[in-house]
Amino acid sequence: MTFIDRTEEPNSCWRDLADVLSAGISRVLLYGPSGTGKTYAALHHGVGNVASERLVCTEDLTSGEITGTWMPVGENRWEWREGPAIRAWRGTSGLGGRLVVDEVDRASGDALSTLLAVTDSPESARWRNPETSEWVRPGPQFSVVMTTNVEDLDDIAPSLRDRFPVSIRIDRPHVTALSSLSADLRAPALAGSLGPASRRVSLRSFYAFDELRRHLGPTRAAQLVFGDDAATSVLDALAIAAIT
Amino acid sequence: MTALVHPELVTGREDGFTDAPWTVTPGSTRRGEASCNLTERILEVPLGLDATSRVVRAHELMHARVSPHRIEHYGALDEMAPRALECAEELRINTLIARLDFDVALLRDGSEKNGARRIAESGDWSEAICFLMAVLGTGGEKDFLAGIRSIEPSWMSGLRAVRKRALALMNGLSSSALGATRLNDEALPSGYADATVVLARIVTQSMAARPPTTPEALRSFRRSLEPGGRRPPTGRFASLHFDDTLVMSPRPRSAGVRRARASTSGPTMRYPSRLLTDDQKRAFARRASFHGGLVIIDQSGSMDIDEASLSSLLRRAPDALVVGYSHRPGDVGATPNVWILAERGSVATRVPSGNIGNGVDGAVLEWALARRRNGEPIVWVTDGQVTDSHDHPDDTLTLQCAELVRRHRIRLVKELTDAGRALSVGRTVGRPQWSHYGRLGRKLTEMKAF
Repeated sequence: MTFIDRTEEPNSCWRDLADVLSAGISRVLLYGPSGTGKTYAALHHGVGNVASERLVCTEDLTSGEITGTWMPVGENRWEWREGPAIRAWRGTSGLGGRLVVDEVDRASGDALSTLLAVTDSPESARWRNPETSEWVRPGPQFSVVMTTNVEDLDDIAPSLRDRFPVSIRIDRPHVTALSSLSADLRAPALAGSLGPASRRVSLRSFYAFDELRRHLGPTRAAQLVFGDDAATSVLDALAIAAIT
Repeated sequence: MTALVHPELVTGREDGFTDAPWTVTPGSTRRGEASCNLTERILEVPLGLDATSRVVRAHELMHARVSPHRIEHYGALDEMAPRALECAEELRINTLIARLDFDVALLRDGSEKNGARRIAESGDWSEAICFLMAVLGTGGEKDFLAGIRSIEPSWMSGLRAVRKRALALMNGLSSSALGATRLNDEALPSGYADATVVLARIVTQSMAARPPTTPEALRSFRRSLEPGGRRPPTGRFASLHFDDTLVMSPRPRSAGVRRARASTSGPTMRYPSRLLTDDQKRAFARRASFHGGLVIIDQSGSMDIDEASLSSLLRRAPDALVVGYSHRPGDVGATPNVWILAERGSVATRVPSGNIGNGVDGAVLEWALARRRNGEPIVWVTDGQVTDSHDHPDDTLTLQCAELVRRHRIRLVKELTDAGRALSVGRTVGRPQWSHYGRLGRKLTEMKAF
């Protein structure tokens, strides 16, 4: 079976992302089913040599974990440790880097309000270092990519969403994420996340299936990875896909 | 509890069908209650956990994998009956899933035997062939053939011949060739083109054929199934398909033909014998202008139309209705087989060329007779050959035409140049000339003898 690189198709979500980033858009929201490589793309695509900072949102996330916090460094001594958002603002040599905000739909309370400040437009965003009183602004190359697994963007706070003019639904893995998968599984793995949640098969499942079937054979591997309910259906579909 | 089905994982097509989400709706294992809509990506399948449901799901998923998804095929499929294409595709799909070890013996819903009986009782030979293709190799095949045998045992040898040919065609292709979706020059997936379309062509011509019942007919039928084989006899005319693309333009009127007609009064007693033979004693002659008539032109084979002859005819009969006909053997409606060359004062701006075969002789005569005005003369330009829709000469069809000729006093001529005179002379071809009209002439001679 020939493996087709669908990232080059005009309507591919990955092509959309590449176009948006190369056009200089610095605020992008990626959403869609899990296991498609949104976070990986956010960390690596369009960042050049700059390191990316990653922030995983939970209900318990505090603003200190975003902008920074005082840390004890000795007796009666504390030192301010900047958080990932401010580090990303600065980037290398103050030019700014990439901030990746994962699971953004789960942020709440003061974390959400801090995220609003951090992701504000470059003209409005600024933060004062409590230790040095230095005013910090995002560097010119600062960019922020938020990711979420929600299918409905209304689940994200409107004020936060408003800061992200471009939202791209990532519905399939990036082709480079499949390179170490067996050839017969690459195309199905690309399409496995397209269906509704009830029959979605993530890229991670395909990797596990690929590894297990080498040792246990496809039937047992499918039962272990996809469960008894889905194993037969997945194997039937894979057999039909591989007809040629 | 219901089974899952994963159409999105059925990838690998090479014909531009992009991967996208599908809608799955519950169907059943009964015939006609499962489907695969590639245009709207809707898969209707039984969601049971039983083995039969699983095979039906595999069948529909295979459609999603290899069946064409485009509607336009640049006319490549026009010559095939849609039902033949549908059933040939069923056989390709069943062959492919059988090769993946799906138990196609489970593909039966118990309706096959009664369905076959109904088909045989209604004499629907063409549906018998199509249905056979749809159930071939499945658990329903045996029941279907038993149903046909119980009503029409004479069809069995013909059906077996088609079955054998279909299986040979499928078995001659590897799974990769059978399921290939790379587009060929006609924008058809190559597996579909090499298997389904080839089989559908055979099925289409066999559907139109007369069921072979004699050893000789069976031999001829078998030969027709082989590559390059001549289409089998059908024993019937094709349906008429008019050429709607012809443009008609008004033609300057001429005087027409003046002809003497018998009358009860007049200046000259021209027919004195009528005083004794005619109840109305129409012994006088009255000149009347004659403008019309019906001319039917066989344009098959070498019977080309000379436009000068047509013009000459229309000078003599400016109001004539002139139709040409010729059927492309085996055509199922894609190619027009009859065209109006002149109609009551207007004339076609171009003369279509023929399509090799006759195929519609009797149908055109019937059509023309239905448009005849006040007993106006009808002239048939013919070489005397009458053929069926596959261009086989046929005794019964020739007899039908001969009866029409005799009953309606249709005048026969061999060349269009003679048609104008035949319209005006008021006489049909006499017995001595029938020998010039091949099979038709012989039938007319036999009829006269009785």
